[in-house]
Amino acid sequence: MGETVGNLIGLNDEVIHPAATLAVEAHNSPSKQFLVKKIKIHHDLSSVVVLAFSGSMLPEDWFGQPPFGKTEIDTGKFPSLTSLNDGGDAVVNGSFLRRFNDVLDKLSHAKELKEAIEKKKQVVFAGYSSGGPIAILATLYFLENQTLSTRCLTFGSPLVGDRIFGHALRREGWSDYFTHFVMKYDIIPRIMLSPSSTEHKQILNYFKSKFDKKNINPAPPSGFYLTVMGNASSVATYEACHLMGCRNPSLDIIKSFIELSPYRPSGTYVFCTGNGNLVVVKNPNAVLQILIHSAELGESNTAEVEKRSLDEHSAYLSELKECLGMQAVVSLDGGPATATLNDLGLSPQAMLCLQAAEEFENRRSRNLEKIRKHMEKSEVELEMLRKYKENAQISGLGYYDSFKLQNEDDDFHANVRRLELAGIWDEIKEMLKEFELPDDFEKKQEIIDLGTEYRRLVEPLDIANFYRHSKDKETGAYVVGGGPRPKRYRFIQRWLEHHEKKPFGSRSESLFWADVEQLGIDIKKKKNLQEIKDRIRQLERNMIAWIDVDKSLDKDVLLEKTTFVKWWRDLPRECKSESERIEKLIGEKAAGV
Amino acid sequence: MDTETSLFESSEMLATFLSSTPVLQDSWRVCSLANTAATVVTDHVRGVAYVAFPGTVMPSGGANLVALDCAPDCLFPPLQHRHAQHQHEDPPMIHAAILDHFRSFYTSTTFHNQILAVIEKSKAVVMTGHSMGGAVASLSALWLLSYLQSITSSLPVLCITFGSPLLGNDSFSRAILRERWAGNFCHVVSNHDFIPRLFLAPLPSLSAHHPHFVLQFWQLLMNILQSDSETAKIFGFLLPYIQGWVANMEEECVKSPFSPFGNYLFFSEEGAVCVDDAAAAGKMLELMFTQASPGSSIEDHLKYGDYTEKASWQLLMRKSFTLGEPPESSYEAGLALAVQSCGLANQESISGPAKDCLKMAKRVNRLSPHLNAANLSIILSKNVPYRAQIEWYKASCDKSDDQMGYYDSFKLRGASKKGAKINMNRCLLAGFWDNVILMLESNQLPHDFLKREKWVNAAHFYKLLVEPLDIAEYYKTGKHLTHGHYLKNGREERYEIFDRWWKGREVGNEENNKRRTTYASLTQDSCFWARVEEARDWLDQIRSESDMRRSVMLWQDIDSFERYATRLVENKEVSMDVLAKNSSFTLLMEELQDFKSKTQQFPPQFPDFLNGEMVP
Repeated sequence: MGETVGNLIGLNDEVIHPAATLAVEAHNSPSKQFLVKKIKIHHDLSSVVVLAFSGSMLPEDWFGQPPFGKTEIDTGKFPSLTSLNDGGDAVVNGSFLRRFNDVLDKLSHAKELKEAIEKKKQVVFAGYSSGGPIAILATLYFLENQTLSTRCLTFGSPLVGDRIFGHALRREGWSDYFTHFVMKYDIIPRIMLSPSSTEHKQILNYFKSKFDKKNINPAPPSGFYLTVMGNASSVATYEACHLMGCRNPSLDIIKSFIELSPYRPSGTYVFCTGNGNLVVVKNPNAVLQILIHSAELGESNTAEVEKRSLDEHSAYLSELKECLGMQAVVSLDGGPATATLNDLGLSPQAMLCLQAAEEFENRRSRNLEKIRKHMEKSEVELEMLRKYKENAQISGLGYYDSFKLQNEDDDFHANVRRLELAGIWDEIKEMLKEFELPDDFEKKQEIIDLGTEYRRLVEPLDIANFYRHSKDKETGAYVVGGGPRPKRYRFIQRWLEHHEKKPFGSRSESLFWADVEQLGIDIKKKKNLQEIKDRIRQLERNMIAWIDVDKSLDKDVLLEKTTFVKWWRDLPRECKSESERIEKLIGEKAAGV
Repeated sequence: MDTETSLFESSEMLATFLSSTPVLQDSWRVCSLANTAATVVTDHVRGVAYVAFPGTVMPSGGANLVALDCAPDCLFPPLQHRHAQHQHEDPPMIHAAILDHFRSFYTSTTFHNQILAVIEKSKAVVMTGHSMGGAVASLSALWLLSYLQSITSSLPVLCITFGSPLLGNDSFSRAILRERWAGNFCHVVSNHDFIPRLFLAPLPSLSAHHPHFVLQFWQLLMNILQSDSETAKIFGFLLPYIQGWVANMEEECVKSPFSPFGNYLFFSEEGAVCVDDAAAAGKMLELMFTQASPGSSIEDHLKYGDYTEKASWQLLMRKSFTLGEPPESSYEAGLALAVQSCGLANQESISGPAKDCLKMAKRVNRLSPHLNAANLSIILSKNVPYRAQIEWYKASCDKSDDQMGYYDSFKLRGASKKGAKINMNRCLLAGFWDNVILMLESNQLPHDFLKREKWVNAAHFYKLLVEPLDIAEYYKTGKHLTHGHYLKNGREERYEIFDRWWKGREVGNEENNKRRTTYASLTQDSCFWARVEEARDWLDQIRSESDMRRSVMLWQDIDSFERYATRLVENKEVSMDVLAKNSSFTLLMEELQDFKSKTQQFPPQFPDFLNGEMVP
């Protein structure tokens, strides 16, 4: 049973070729920032709006600051394009981002787009060559704003973002909306894997004069292939070593000595083999390997391959016309299909790289299974801690203070549980940092729930332990910037905030006790009175909201014998601003017990 | 332990990666400059400094090995310092003539200035050299790594050698592994180059004609680098030497004392592989040489420019499998391809051993370092209860009526269940941490492992809590009587390693100048009690000492201990248990004051004692 590209990428086949045509047309119409066209679908008479972006072959529109012209993405516009653990924000090509920003204003006012939003029509953002990155960023922008049903099609587009960029796309489940067509030898989709160089300028100049049509047959540059592909190969072999589980420390030592491109493929790639076949690949590591290995030098000499690598960049329309009609499409996901890969001319070594890329995905699934087992254990431990908490409440001292005093055997056992749980969640943290878990792990509802439960129940114990041992004297307050607060809690909090689309730091109810302890210490130190007052007011308000509104903080903090109640009652009257409500809450709690 | 269902052979991929970087070609370029100039040459490329040592200068001296710890100058302290645990091994040794040769560079004033200037303005340093220059580059890199460690700098250092002779023995290679420096060395060996294989021949045959031979060779090499016309003459001259030597190697019966260290990057006509296991590298040196001819073994030593250049484009060639269909399993296929890249695929008698050799290099543990590190979190959490019980024990001793603190309670413990349990925990934790160290030294953990605060902190905390118990056990069982005091003779290597981790961590700025207002939860010097025990011993000795001079020396020691202890107590760097009413420290201090006040013939040169501060 043959499948068409459209099936595999979830788009009507009738759209692809017209979109490519429009993309090429738009690329060569620099006077307009984008072109719009409505494409009718014959069999169900619906229509799709295609927007294609113009391109530029000016070197400054490709590379800013050498070597890679990278910049951190603006998380104001793209809040999801970040790592939810330590990885930082996604990195993108600064010149492409600038060009997107230039077009954004006009784009959001385009009447065709407004109409599509109103009528809930599907919109396809398309781009050829340097129009591709703009289409990618535009699609993301509208996905972030959830106003549109969008797809993105690019043809011979250069790479735009780094590993975090691709990770975030997959985490959000957007990866399937992006389809990139790449010819077997086309140099442009590979160019960003190499640092900016004179060779780059030569290539861009060549295309510029070709597209400007001032010079129909400009002299092609030569000698760039070895430089560009050699650097690209560094990236691919570096990643392949990691995929293959290479443990040699030199691999990372040598990274400080070279300039390795940060850019990585993301989304779905469709490789045109040049003989009418198409290969669809979604595994980003496999895409990277194919980008390099399919363009390797075979029997033909370097000059010939070099020429093809330029020529094929202008061959998308004719190539697609040929293969879209056919159903010779193979999806690589679910194992390399040797026969079709022969069309891509992959060497045995390249096949091993693909197997390693696939094995990496399998390993991530296995890791997830393993983590699930640990999660079950985690739930048992949490249940025991819940019991401990109940008992502590009955004793009247409350959970936090019993644990801090460590007088009973139960307190000791709770401490051991705390430490065992820390091991489980630290393991998860380490795995996430190294991308050893599926990309959507941090979006899974049951994981966020369990994590949040863990954070609310156990972080108070960490805080109690911290202040019991006066660790603030050694390391400073529990919560300061990159301070002693265990990273696992920071991440778990971030998952929830991201899920609820709340700003970073807004879900800090598990830090209640740290705020109380630190305020107590700072008052004794006689710090700035106004600042202390502000902090107390903030604490009171947060507390009321956490207890009353979203029930994220347990009422046992209101027990009469707790550190909090004793401390708060000792505060001078003028420091309190929510005196009545809190007294009322304390009263209610006392009556309830 | 989980096993990976699919395995891959990455030695060829790693070699391809190395060849694809500009580092090899840049290194070789600067090496050639150094060879031509016959002096050290430095160059900067994109912020990376290249320092190349000439291979055209001939070292003098014998071909014997010298132990590093016998050397009068301390050039490589981390390699020279040997912990008691390794005393049974051979000491790290290196080639005497090469060490002397390095010294001749090292002692010149320009060398230091050159290196310091390089460090200052570079983000990374490559030490490189061809032939003998490679050996000198290795020693310079080792020296630089030692130096950077002493100033806790993390400047990246790489050493790339081309056709360097072997440098040291097996212990030397292991000492480098232990310092986790092996990854900083990459020795490039072209196909049949004979120089890297020179010292593989057993030493007896070497000592017969070796020094003479090398001398001749080097003098001629200088010419050949200058002019091609001499080549024919040299060939004729060297042929009998090499033939004799090859014959020697084939009938190898005595094992060479030399051993490779670091990575070996082997270039053949077909491709390249990179091996980091010393035994495997040694075997590969041998296997790839079996096809050498006298001519090729000399030519290859001079062809590094060609090899590095070729490697940079060869990696873009689509390589097919030459011998039929590749094997089904990905691991076997990778092995077969790697052997093919060594140029050994066509020789069945060699390709088999070559495969075994690569298999050997891929060590037993199949998990990736990152997974190991993640897994370790779980194992740590399983061990943490043992630690928590010790903490609990410490706290209960603090509260106990006998007011001794956990050190003395543990030392004087009877046959209690509690004490036995704590002692068992102590042993279990030691086993856990020794395993962490072992994994780290065998590259089973990520390279940046020690930059992860969590682990450095956990190790530090463990040391502070548990080392006092080790000391207590040491003195309880009277080991100091048979082995000498703990500090010099009983301290486990792991604690010294943890000291280094702690010292090498990245410290935030506010941390250091904070003054404590309450006593620390754990005494900040984990060897505190060992020092107390020693001071106790001095005090006992002084009572029976009749020799005035000895007595003065003992007083000096006691005086410095007292100042040390006072400082620690004043800065509140001790935990409460030290100051418990019946702790051996409190008792010692009381006894000391008592003794001082009673002693009439008090040495007048130490008036401090009389108004020495009394500890609470």
